[in-house]
Amino acid sequence: MLQCIFLLSDSGEVMLEKQMTAHRVDRSICAWFWDYVLSQGGDSSKILQVIASPTHYIFQVYREGITFLACTQVEMPPLMAIEFLSRVADVLTDYLGSLNEDLIKDNFVIVYEILDEMMDNGFPLTTEPNILREMIAPPDIVSKMLNVVTGKSSNVSNKLPEATASCVPWRKTGLKNASNEVYVNLVEELDALVNREGMLVKCEVYGEIQVNSHLPGLPDLTLSFANPTILNDVRFHPCVRFRPWESHQVLSFVPPDGQFKLMSYRVKNLKNIPVYLKPQLSSDSGNCRIDVLVGIRNDPGKTIDSVTVKFQLPLCIASADLTSNYGTVNILADKTCSWSIGRIPKDKSPSLTGNLVLDGMDRLHVFPTFQVKFKITGVAFSGLQIDKLDVKNTPSSPYKGFRAITQAGQYEVRS
Amino acid sequence: MAPPIPAPKTPSPSQPSGKSEVTDLKLQLRQLAGSRAPGADDSKRDLFKRVISYMTVGIDVSSAFSEMVMCSATSDIVLKKMCYLYVGNYARCNPDLALLTINFLQKDCRDEDPMIRGLALRSLCSLRVPNLVEYLVAPLGAGLKDGSPYVRMVAALGVLKLYHISAAMCLDSDFPATLKSLMLSDPDAQVVANCLHSLQEIWNLEASKSEEASREIEALYSKPVVFFLLNKIKDFSEWAQCLVLDVVSKYIPGDNNEIFDIMNFLEDRLQHANGAVVLATIKVFLHLTMSMTDVHQQVYERIKAPLLTLVGAGSPEQSYAVLCHLHLLVMRAPMLFSSDYKHFYCQFSEPSFVKKLKLEMLTAIANESNTYEIVTELCEYARNIDIPIARESIRAVGKIALQQYDVNAIVDRLLQFLEMEKDYVTAETLVLVKDLLRKYPQWSHDCIAVVGNISSKNVQEPKAKAALIWMLGEYSQDMLDAPYILESLIENWDDEHAPEVRLHLLTAAMKCFFKRPPETQKALGAALAAGLADTHQAWDVHDRALFYYRLVQYDVTVAEHVVNPPKQAVSVFADTQSSEIKDRIFDEFNTLSVVYQKPSYMFTDKEHRGPFEFSEDLASLSVGAQSAENVISAQRYQENDNDLLLSTSEKEENGSSAHYGSVPSAYSAPQALTEAALIDHGSSAFTSQSAFAIDDLLGLGVPDAPAPAPAPPTLNLNTKSALDPGTFQRKWGQLGITLSQELSLSPQGVVGLTTPQSLIRHMQGHSIQCIASGGQSPNYKFFFFAQKEGSSVFFLVECIINTSSAKVHLKIKAEDGSAAEPFSALFQSALLKFGLP
Repeated sequence: MLQCIFLLSDSGEVMLEKQMTAHRVDRSICAWFWDYVLSQGGDSSKILQVIASPTHYIFQVYREGITFLACTQVEMPPLMAIEFLSRVADVLTDYLGSLNEDLIKDNFVIVYEILDEMMDNGFPLTTEPNILREMIAPPDIVSKMLNVVTGKSSNVSNKLPEATASCVPWRKTGLKNASNEVYVNLVEELDALVNREGMLVKCEVYGEIQVNSHLPGLPDLTLSFANPTILNDVRFHPCVRFRPWESHQVLSFVPPDGQFKLMSYRVKNLKNIPVYLKPQLSSDSGNCRIDVLVGIRNDPGKTIDSVTVKFQLPLCIASADLTSNYGTVNILADKTCSWSIGRIPKDKSPSLTGNLVLDGMDRLHVFPTFQVKFKITGVAFSGLQIDKLDVKNTPSSPYKGFRAITQAGQYEVRS
Repeated sequence: MAPPIPAPKTPSPSQPSGKSEVTDLKLQLRQLAGSRAPGADDSKRDLFKRVISYMTVGIDVSSAFSEMVMCSATSDIVLKKMCYLYVGNYARCNPDLALLTINFLQKDCRDEDPMIRGLALRSLCSLRVPNLVEYLVAPLGAGLKDGSPYVRMVAALGVLKLYHISAAMCLDSDFPATLKSLMLSDPDAQVVANCLHSLQEIWNLEASKSEEASREIEALYSKPVVFFLLNKIKDFSEWAQCLVLDVVSKYIPGDNNEIFDIMNFLEDRLQHANGAVVLATIKVFLHLTMSMTDVHQQVYERIKAPLLTLVGAGSPEQSYAVLCHLHLLVMRAPMLFSSDYKHFYCQFSEPSFVKKLKLEMLTAIANESNTYEIVTELCEYARNIDIPIARESIRAVGKIALQQYDVNAIVDRLLQFLEMEKDYVTAETLVLVKDLLRKYPQWSHDCIAVVGNISSKNVQEPKAKAALIWMLGEYSQDMLDAPYILESLIENWDDEHAPEVRLHLLTAAMKCFFKRPPETQKALGAALAAGLADTHQAWDVHDRALFYYRLVQYDVTVAEHVVNPPKQAVSVFADTQSSEIKDRIFDEFNTLSVVYQKPSYMFTDKEHRGPFEFSEDLASLSVGAQSAENVISAQRYQENDNDLLLSTSEKEENGSSAHYGSVPSAYSAPQALTEAALIDHGSSAFTSQSAFAIDDLLGLGVPDAPAPAPAPPTLNLNTKSALDPGTFQRKWGQLGITLSQELSLSPQGVVGLTTPQSLIRHMQGHSIQCIASGGQSPNYKFFFFAQKEGSSVFFLVECIINTSSAKVHLKIKAEDGSAAEPFSALFQSALLKFGLP
């Protein structure tokens, strides 16, 4: 069980401390942790998530410059701690609009309140944002205005959430929504790996179906796909009923109010990639010629946008002179090159050429990996298609919106 | 090793200014305390906020305690919450002032708003001031009966808090019984979950003291309760589901149908969005099917996809923790994952600890069908910018080669590495080529040709240099200029600081001398002279030089026989982690152990092994302070991890015993000789072990029991007796207690009993099988059984051991009453031998 949660700023300062059990955890643990971070290169996002300090086990989750730190001295499921901390980060982001140092410091009372409801005695309680919202009102301007007008200065509803007792714990009862609409978003991330020989070694899609629902009452939704068989492994929000999926591969659910992740899935062994990158490096007598070509491989039918290519120059390179016929090239201080292309033009293939001067050696033996990013709106690259969305149990038929987007996840080309 | 505990923080420089601020705040609070004026609450809010923000920054505002309490009479819930927070933070250091808060907290516990009742009760229980517990009982009792589930939920955990402050008070008020009935009857799932949480902890802690509590624990893990919880599982929050799944994983099903029922029922939990639920479910599945080999395999197949998705799709934090568990499974059953190798390919952007785990998994799952692809992939990492990973991947290639798949192609690849002319690549490769040659001497020709071209000047790392020198000595007949390279190395003796390299130089010079005496004589002389003069660093070098010198002086043929005897190829290299330890970690699936790749007894403090037991003095706690034994073993894994083959010097430093002694033929003779002491030690351990083995085979009891043990009985036990849990339970229920005894465990036995498993294995050595065990230090409980040789008569034993008092309580049930006495004697003598060498 978690004994204590700390929120640390980007400079290692303790912004918040919430003791969970009778055994106080001294703040010095944070100093120890920060020394550890510094000894590992100072990047909190790059260090181990579970660390054994001399006195405690530390779990840490890093989001937007804030380290969520939890300590325990007893054996416990590590994923439980990590999932919980991630959830804390999500809930705070949801409450505060975004996440940064100032927001936390300005709203520390609310953060305390939230933590108090999310965990008691080191054991997670309510983490469902919808229910938390009923217990602790978010610090938005509307509620402030209301307070001024009504003279009521409390930022919490005096009524306890009924959902804690309802049979649909993720949904508050008696919702009266002005807007009667539901949006379904297919968001896919494409991971691909191309090896030195230009072979596509691995290509997978991790997808999510995000739903934004604003429906009155207790609506019952059914979402079906044209081609559910392509899904390799699926995970559901607790609201999804298991049996209909088992028998007919349809998602039947009573949605929570607002934004949530209905389902995540994986589609493996894709044979195509939308964007190709061909690097060529040839070195001789202390110089290395570099040519990188980027283009569209299998036109997905929609524009490919926000294309960037990033790679790390080997340490042995003394200087680099890079130019491109399209987009801009930047070499950062840590020898990272970033080439932002934007939209790939129809008429020509963007290319980057240049010369690298090697430091004290004839030929290059260490080669960079190119990381490609892009965005395709309007297409789910896995080919997953939504067949239809039925909404039952609503007074009038709601507005339904569908969108799809594919982004590059870990899209790497080795040279 | 973890860095030392930082010194306690010195008072921050901002404190003086904080002090005047605090006085100021106190003054303002005092003015507001009685005020009922409109807007007073708003100003109070601002002041409270400031107080809390000071508290958050770490400034001590405890001096404002009484003022805060005076201001706490308010109907504003945010004010209340801030006040509760403040009080909770400072009550422990101001127990006298805390009394002031009791009144208003108790009043709030009777508020009409359930939210305030709940919050007040939570704060009241969180004060944790021992002399105020008496005020807790009444509100808690009322809270458990409250109409609002929110209050009952808070009260259920409040009982646990009370238990931690004053166990006696909690038990006297009969709260556990109330919780139990609440758990089985409350309509609200969260209340049920909180009751379960509290009960589990209270009874686990009580189990060491009372018989009744251990019965309650058994009842908690019994069929009615487990199935009651399972049926409700979908009502629980995701976290409560984890808790329930944990309970289920401790349940021992009566028969296979039950196992399948549970698994069918929980199948959809594998698709839960929360990774913690998925892992907890997997743990249940793995534990349930442990005894059914083929179903166990099917479980692996079933859980593969969810695990792989979790690794890929979750946040980086989650993905690491899942990867650690996946790593464990892969290491246990590499074959089942051999077609998923692409999932373990490293991405450039991943942190190196993730890449390392993936490399280990790739190494493990390599087999005939995928070796080519995996090695191709690994070779690409060798050219990557990430140098530590490049090194790791070369090592991985070597390990795969040692696993015997497609060696031909791999040797070619390794030799290509040598042509890359990158110093770290060359270094790693040399070490591997040396290992390869020890296993596949037939490749020496191809390798030597390439190795011979490497200039020793390009090799700097001691390990690599030692490997190169070893090859020079071993294959000096095939390498034309071996003597001359050795000679030039010996000339630069003083530049060679690592004792490892010097030792290898001595041995290589000797070996070379036996094969090509005229060319090497001079170099050997120089080496021996330099070695004899080498006294400032490590005496090893000096001693070995002296030893060689006298050996050569005595008789060259004898010397050759000692230093360079004909060798057998090594067939199996020492495994990095014993399978026993892997099993232990596996038992602890879904815990921190998996992340550390060590079972918890190796890294958790003794006092923390329990579910929730702390020692009061936090300052004295130290995770790093492992027992000496653990440190050594941990080092040994580290060591093994770094290099498959250890060089002599390191081994001697570590003083590891039988482990290495068991393969002396793998090392060249001089190393074996310098190790004489170690081997001696090892072999003595060996003989005693083999003695055990013989006992075991003959099915005898203990031939020579130590003095305190009773005389050896004349009862033979079946060495291969088997009993399934269901039958055991039935028999246990049917039979009456034949014998009940109390005895003391030997002190060595107490020390040895760090885990139930150690005793279980020991008893197995005496043909007594364990069917179930449990408990935490200091209290362990075992159920053993044994079968009389050549008959169907079973003996069942319940054995409760308390390690702190070294007392053992035995209950023996025998199917044949007449044999009970001899069996009891046999059992006791076996038990008393536990821990003795």
